[in-house]
Order: sequence, then structure tokens, then C-alpha cells
Amino acid sequence: MRDPALEDGFARRDAKAYDAAYRAFGARMQATALRLLRDREAARECVQDVFLHLWRHPSGYVSARGSLEAFLVTCARNAALTRLRSGIRQQKMIASLDPSQGYLMEEDPIERDRIARALAQLTEGQASVVERAYYRGMTLAEVAAELAIPIGTVKGRLSSALRSLRRSLIPEASNGT
Amino acid sequence: MEPDAHLGEAAELYAIGALDAAERTAADAHIARCIECARRVGEAEETVLALERDVHVDPLAAAVAVPLRLRRREVPAWWVAVAAAAALIAGTLLPGLFAQRDTATLAMVHSHFNHAQFSGPNAPPAKVIYARDRSWYYVIVEGSHRYDVYGLHDGQSVSLGTTQPKGATSELFWQRREQFDRIELRGDGKAIETASIR
Repeated sequence: MRDPALEDGFARRDAKAYDAAYRAFGARMQATALRLLRDREAARECVQDVFLHLWRHPSGYVSARGSLEAFLVTCARNAALTRLRSGIRQQKMIASLDPSQGYLMEEDPIERDRIARALAQLTEGQASVVERAYYRGMTLAEVAAELAIPIGTVKGRLSSALRSLRRSLIPEASNGT
Repeated sequence: MEPDAHLGEAAELYAIGALDAAERTAADAHIARCIECARRVGEAEETVLALERDVHVDPLAAAVAVPLRLRRREVPAWWVAVAAAAALIAGTLLPGLFAQRDTATLAMVHSHFNHAQFSGPNAPPAKVIYARDRSWYYVIVEGSHRYDVYGLHDGQSVSLGTTQPKGATSELFWQRREQFDRIELRGDGKAIETASIR
């Protein structure tokens, strides 16, 4: 459920709205970062860094874009990816990530099943790029090299896969609204 | 990516963090002006959120246990001057006492680091702070007792030295790139407590 007052306050860079957004979405953001980083302290820092960055560069969010929660969770994921890709040791960690293994996180079985069914509807080509680029955090170039396909093909498969997942996971999307 | 070109399929790539820094900057500039592309990015972000919902989160847990900080802690100029003077006096009068702590502080300023808590039955509170690239380890134990510190890896143990009393704590800073699985504190040759390095 979206909160227009909170979203408008956040877009206006209101400190109370930032604090409320942190309390409302911080735990989800941290879980997203933790899935990639596997380090609770680093995930916590990631969340703080996202809010601090947006506070200093407040042009990133407008409510017409979509929900504040989706925006912030995506920001947390991208901040975690940046950390993950920032060094050789982390690169080795990316290669060893096993998306089937949760990291000390409690799963929601209903959502887990819903997502698994949505992923199962992807073509084999789409599923292979989603697994690598989304769940393992590999770059497009790394995915292209590992699958021995052009980078343009990786981009096309990822984009179509995300749209397909949207139709499966977000009911109103398939109604064209 | 042309500044005025619509994002197209790059909207989904943007949302999952697949664009490089230059592409992302160009996309940000375009999204700020184009509500149509902002909406498409927003839709892709909703998909990302939907993919993240398989993890159960407690809104009262971890992340929000730490207050939100929207400003880095700023140190007043007068305090810098006082601290510098105090350090100069202490360094002059008590050479060596502060050297190890200063080295550790500088290492922390210049590195990304993690920390781990020691645990052991009836053991004093203690922590090891260590560089993420494992180039240094800083052991701090509450109290003034001296402990022998060992790094353990693959069944081998390496002596790192002995903690030195520094007021309310006893500390050891060890600077050498070495991979350890655990750090162990020993007293009278017996293991007292260990911390896992991850």
C-alpha cells in the first residue's frame, strides 16, 4: 500500500519523511543487500549509504516514477552490487554465489513459490541470464562471456525476462494498468 | 546512450543494476526529464521489489535498530586543534604508548574493515577489527590483562603477539596481509576465547 504523503515528503527531501521511509523500508532494503553481500554489517552500511546519497542528491525520486519502496529497494540492490564489484575478492565471491542457498535469511514460502513459478515461465535463454545477472550480480560482459553469446543478446533477454516476470508477479501489470 | 533518446530496454537493465556508470548517469539525466521513461523504470523497479519478497523481513529488526544518519559526523575545528595538541603532548611525554593505537586508527581511516566479537566461557568482552583485505588485525580486550593472540588457518596457528594494557583495555595491532579463519586469545598457554573471521 503506497503512502502518498510519505512519498511526497521524501521527494521534497523532508527529514521526517526520510526517517519514516527508513523505518518502513530499511529492513527490506537490508535483506536485499544482504542477499548479495552476505555480510550484515556491510548490508547495514549499504542502507545508510543509500539514504545519505539520496539526501545529498535528492533528484532521484518522484512519486510519478512508482512506489518509494520499489525505488529504495532497487537503490539498495544497486549499492550492494557496486560494493560487490569493487574488488577482486568480491569478484571471486560473485562467481561462487549459489542463488539456491539462502544466507541466514528466513524465507516467505508463499512468495518463494510464487517467484519460482514466475521464473519457471521464462524461456531457457531468459532464465540463464536472469540467474547470472540478477541473482549472482554478474555484469553483462561476464554473462555474455560465460554463455558465449553477444552482449546485445544478453540485454535483450534480460529486458524481456523482466517484463515477463512483471506480468507474472504483479497482477495489475497484465491488465495493462 | 543519447541524452534525448528514450531508454527502451535499458529501463529494465537500469533497474537491475546492469548498466555501467556512464550509461547510468546518462539514464538518470534522461529520467529526470522524461516521465514516460521514469514510469517504465518505476515498473521495472516494482518487478525487482517483487523478486525480493521471498525473504521474510521483520520491520523492527536489524536495519532499523541503528538510527538513520543523514549527515556524516562533523568534528568542530576547535576540537581538531585540541586533539592535535593533546596527541602532541602525549606523544612527546609517553612515546610508544599511543603509537600502536595511532597506527590502528590510521589503518581504519584508510581501509574498509569488519569486526567480530570474541566468545568463550567466562571470557572478558573482546573484539577483533580487521581489514576486509586481511592486511591488518586489531584486537581489543576489556581490562588490563595481557593475552597472547594467535591467528588460526587450516589447522595452523600463528603467534601475533601479546596485547598491551592501554587504560581500560588491552590491545594488539598486527599489520601483515594474512588470511585467518579465527583469532584466538590465550592466557597461560590455554585458549580463552575465539572470534571467527568471515
